[in-house]
Amino acid sequence: MKLGRREFIKLSATATAVTAFGGLGFNLKPTVAKAQLLRLDWAKETTSICCYCSVGCGVLVHTDKSGGGRCINIEGDPDHPINEGSLCAKGAALFQVAENENRMTKVLYRAPYSNKWVEAPWDWALDRIAKKVKEARDETFTRTNAQGQVVNRTNGIAHCGSAEVENEENWFMQAMMRSLGLVYIEHQARI
Amino acid sequence: MDGKGFFIDLTKCHACRGCQVACKQWHKLPAEETHNWGSFQNPQDLSFITYKLVRMEESVENGKVKDWLFFPDQCRHCIQPPCKMVGDMDDERAILQEFETGTVMFTARTKNLFADEIRDSCPYDIPRVNELTNVLSKCDMCFDRVINGKLPACVLSCPTGTMHFGDLDDMKAMAQERLAEVKKIYPNAVLGDPNAVRVIYLFQDRPSKYHGRAVASVGPRLYNRQQAFAKLFRPNRKA
Amino acid sequence: MTNHYNDLMNSDCILMMGANPAENHPVSFKWVMKAKEKGGKILSVDPRYTRSSSKADLYVPMRSGTDIAILGGMIKYILDNDLYFKDYVVNYTNASFLVNPDFGFKDGLFTGYDPQTESYKKDTWTFQMDAQGIPRKDPTLQDPNCVFQLMKKHFERYNLDRASETSGSPKDKLEEFYKMYAATGAPDKSGTIMYAMGWTQHTTGVQIIRAMAMIQLLLGNVGVAGGGVNALRGTSNVQGSTDQALLFHIIPAYMPTPRANLATLDAYNATTPKSNDPKSANWWQNRPKYIASLLKAMYPDQDPATSYNFMPKLDVGQNCSWLVLFDHMHQGKFKGYFVWGQNPAGSSANSTKTREALSKLDWMVSVNVFDNETASFWKGPGMNPAQVKTEVFALPPAVFCEKEGSVSNSGRWIQWRYQGPKPPGQCVRDGDIMLELFTRIRDLYKKDGGAFPDPILNLNQKDIAKEGKSFPDRFDPQKVAKLLSGYDVNTGKQVANFTQLKDDGSTACGNWLHSGAWTEDGNNMARRDKTQTEMQANIGLFPSWSFAWPVNRRVLYNRASVDLNGQPYAPHKAVIKWDGSKWVGDVPDGGWPPSERHPFIMRAEGYGQFFGPGLADGPFPEHYEAMECPYEEHPFSGQLHNPTALKFAGEAAMRAVCDPRYPFVGTTYRVTEHWQTGIMTRWLPWLLETMPQNFAEIDPELAQLRGIKNGDKVILENMRGAIECVAVVTPRMQPLISMGQKLHQVGTTWHYGWLHPKDGGDSANLLTPSVGDPNTGIPETKTFMVNIRKA
Repeated sequence: MKLGRREFIKLSATATAVTAFGGLGFNLKPTVAKAQLLRLDWAKETTSICCYCSVGCGVLVHTDKSGGGRCINIEGDPDHPINEGSLCAKGAALFQVAENENRMTKVLYRAPYSNKWVEAPWDWALDRIAKKVKEARDETFTRTNAQGQVVNRTNGIAHCGSAEVENEENWFMQAMMRSLGLVYIEHQARI
Repeated sequence: MDGKGFFIDLTKCHACRGCQVACKQWHKLPAEETHNWGSFQNPQDLSFITYKLVRMEESVENGKVKDWLFFPDQCRHCIQPPCKMVGDMDDERAILQEFETGTVMFTARTKNLFADEIRDSCPYDIPRVNELTNVLSKCDMCFDRVINGKLPACVLSCPTGTMHFGDLDDMKAMAQERLAEVKKIYPNAVLGDPNAVRVIYLFQDRPSKYHGRAVASVGPRLYNRQQAFAKLFRPNRKA
Repeated sequence: MTNHYNDLMNSDCILMMGANPAENHPVSFKWVMKAKEKGGKILSVDPRYTRSSSKADLYVPMRSGTDIAILGGMIKYILDNDLYFKDYVVNYTNASFLVNPDFGFKDGLFTGYDPQTESYKKDTWTFQMDAQGIPRKDPTLQDPNCVFQLMKKHFERYNLDRASETSGSPKDKLEEFYKMYAATGAPDKSGTIMYAMGWTQHTTGVQIIRAMAMIQLLLGNVGVAGGGVNALRGTSNVQGSTDQALLFHIIPAYMPTPRANLATLDAYNATTPKSNDPKSANWWQNRPKYIASLLKAMYPDQDPATSYNFMPKLDVGQNCSWLVLFDHMHQGKFKGYFVWGQNPAGSSANSTKTREALSKLDWMVSVNVFDNETASFWKGPGMNPAQVKTEVFALPPAVFCEKEGSVSNSGRWIQWRYQGPKPPGQCVRDGDIMLELFTRIRDLYKKDGGAFPDPILNLNQKDIAKEGKSFPDRFDPQKVAKLLSGYDVNTGKQVANFTQLKDDGSTACGNWLHSGAWTEDGNNMARRDKTQTEMQANIGLFPSWSFAWPVNRRVLYNRASVDLNGQPYAPHKAVIKWDGSKWVGDVPDGGWPPSERHPFIMRAEGYGQFFGPGLADGPFPEHYEAMECPYEEHPFSGQLHNPTALKFAGEAAMRAVCDPRYPFVGTTYRVTEHWQTGIMTRWLPWLLETMPQNFAEIDPELAQLRGIKNGDKVILENMRGAIECVAVVTPRMQPLISMGQKLHQVGTTWHYGWLHPKDGGDSANLLTPSVGDPNTGIPETKTFMVNIRKA
């Protein structure tokens, strides 16, 4: 039978999702379990820029307004003059950057000579790192070099990163590291 | 109105595979477990959870590569879909064809069909079955997007103008116009079954170089209406 | 990029060399294909036939590491056949400058080489000056000491036979390539180069790019629509992180890091570039304003002369670049290490050394979205956790769509991101991780004192943190963005652009190149307005979409796109044009009327440089073999390798030169479906599905030679390491005849690592050597020697 739109929607709305997942035994997370049809109407739409290569493609991020407030769809921004809605394989997969059970979502700590990670609270970890930084800085801080010139630098701490964070974060990162006296500051641009 | 259609200009495809992943993303299809089998193409074939696949073939002349051919394969949404013809004999609500767009849609009721028959009926070897449930699947033209005025996910994702979507008549006109241009550079260029399908490919070389079932004429198993009806009398037909 | 991505469509000829944009910058291909539709030619020069090559009008195979031989051949071809753009070369480049007569070049070495230090004394790499202190010139280009004649002489050896013999590129293909590209020397034509790490990752990397820049100057291709020198950068904000100077040798916006011999701000400012030529804009003469404003942005309560002392100083000549950093870490020189959004255990050349280096640390802080080979190095192959002392903190950050802020693409567009979902679980935005950590460190110094606490106690807080908020919602990207753009400290008003910055501490600006990104009119990086004039629309400038540095200029050096009367050389794709009273089109490189200033405003003299005295390895590019190579000699000189390459004591014995055990040229690359070390892609099921395992691409003849069939497991090995991967036997790889020998190349990716997936294979950087370019220190990961055998 050939169907008009209304009948077709009625019959197919339940069908698509079932076809995709039915019987496979995949446990759908609530974030993706919504009916496909018109699901974006219930989402908040924000614009962002792809996090992979340097072309700078615009993307639309759809965030579920109900429930967990998680991302439900990411696709190319059709208004963006560089990509005009298009994305490559990586860009098309951006949804799984945000919604991914493999993501690190807890602070992990590995003690010296230990063979495992243990979970740690932020508060404890930040205090301990702050203490370690101060110790290393105070121990290796150099006021003057061999020629007697003032250098005010920390020789015992190095830093790499990051092309993965925003300009504002990067600027503060360099300010923070330089105020701590670091000169071994490098990142992706060097490789 | 003749419904919707795709024009896929393979002279412009560089296999970024945005379409392949965008399809998975929109439909939230799970990934397959794959292995490198000596090719960039993966998964190796379409499957119940892979509706769109960029096939890759090297075209070699005198031991040297002449072309690397890329073919984003998907359901053609036939004007007269043989799968539906065959399917309707067992369950008329298993395979639907929508009036306005021409979308050919597989529903969960495809479990009531003979999966091998449906697959065999397709000149392009598109339908795939879930062995556990006997449900069949394939490209649904992103029908939910299309009726909301959006492009199919794969078409939106295409950077180079390989994939186009619109009214079938416009797509046909675009295909003919582009064919004429492309012929100047690629004399073997040809359109794939432009009058029988809603997904019209422009091949820059012989379609068989892309894939054995790229066009209907190269596939041996196209059912015509008579053959389809003959199937009505097979002994194990479901009620 | 001097230009930007949309601008590629304006090109008459696009050269893809040292880059594979179809695979690594796939959406750039939208604009490459637009150029092709308009009749532009697409050229691909690469050791492999890639997805980019599949769309090219001409593909030229080559031996990895011979780019200068090939490009030098093009320079000679252009000069021999008079194909250069004469007006442009005479008026806008230093071709006419007279060089110090003591300058010379002999057998692969420029004058001033000191074999002891393996470096050059550059006192002969200078120009002859007239009484006013302006370089002497010969506009007829005939003087034997003029740059043009010296360049001609230098490239005399780069004939077609030698270029072909060295590179293994067939002569007819090379000649066709030269002819097609040199055709863009016509005044109204433009050619462009898309390059990436295929050029930078060589011990001759900078000189490869210089060779191409020289070609672009010869053909008048810099400053024009569809032209320029375009580095396709690897990461969504690596342009921005470079601009913010997360690098040892610069502070934000490309000012040099203070050195120990420059004890005061006045001493630093005394090194400001100078020019006596009234027609040279010498833009860097403004540097004192930018450093004062930067210091004020970092330390708002101090005057710049005081806060200059807060800046850590490098010793003269001290190098802290990537490979040196890991060498020193390997020597146990560091106690602590921050690794932020990076995975050096996979991305750094000679990964075994890198991984060992991590075990010499007391502590390491890793901030990464996914677990990775760096954070978990202590349980990696060859490590016994019970013997690894390093204390490791792995902190979970938010991802790109969970926070607000700006990122800069290769085309220098600074674009604003908004927050969609909130960070899940205990994930915290990077800015808040930094800010909270810094606050706690500062509190310790406040409480307990310690070594020179002044910079820590004085660092700007008011422009960084939201008031009344606490961790993890205190970092304020909008405030920081305003600080980066700059404001008047007395009125608090945002500056309109960097011309309003002052050298007296009355303005604060975190990054002068960002100046204008956030003005009193608001956040220009967030603009989404596509209106443009007909002239702008013609070349796709989009001046009201986001903000481009500097001052929203979309095409750099655009004053070189017009003649001395301000009229465009290519009227059908004009970038700027003098209408009699003002410039129209793009933002010009300074508003002076035509010919009042030389167009290359960032050079002290104002001219494009054929003769480039600033580099470590010579004012002209010269071919040398990679530090690992299949030959003991080459036909250009007796210098086998770049004599100034960065290398480390004790590692020479681990390098294969003409070593029969490692007879094949290895190279590394990336594929569309993965990214960098794969941390942000290997964990994504949809991407892993498309490229599940590492592979090695080899030609069918080599496969036969080693008894390897397509899909077999193989081992790639050299003296530094071995990796297992899947053989992809393909006619897209072909053996080359180079220096009379048949040579096979082996290509593999560096996307994988031992952590995940289990059968994916480990990083190709286990094979690459820790040697680097003498100018940048970038490791030579694109050319090395390997053996391949069946696993």
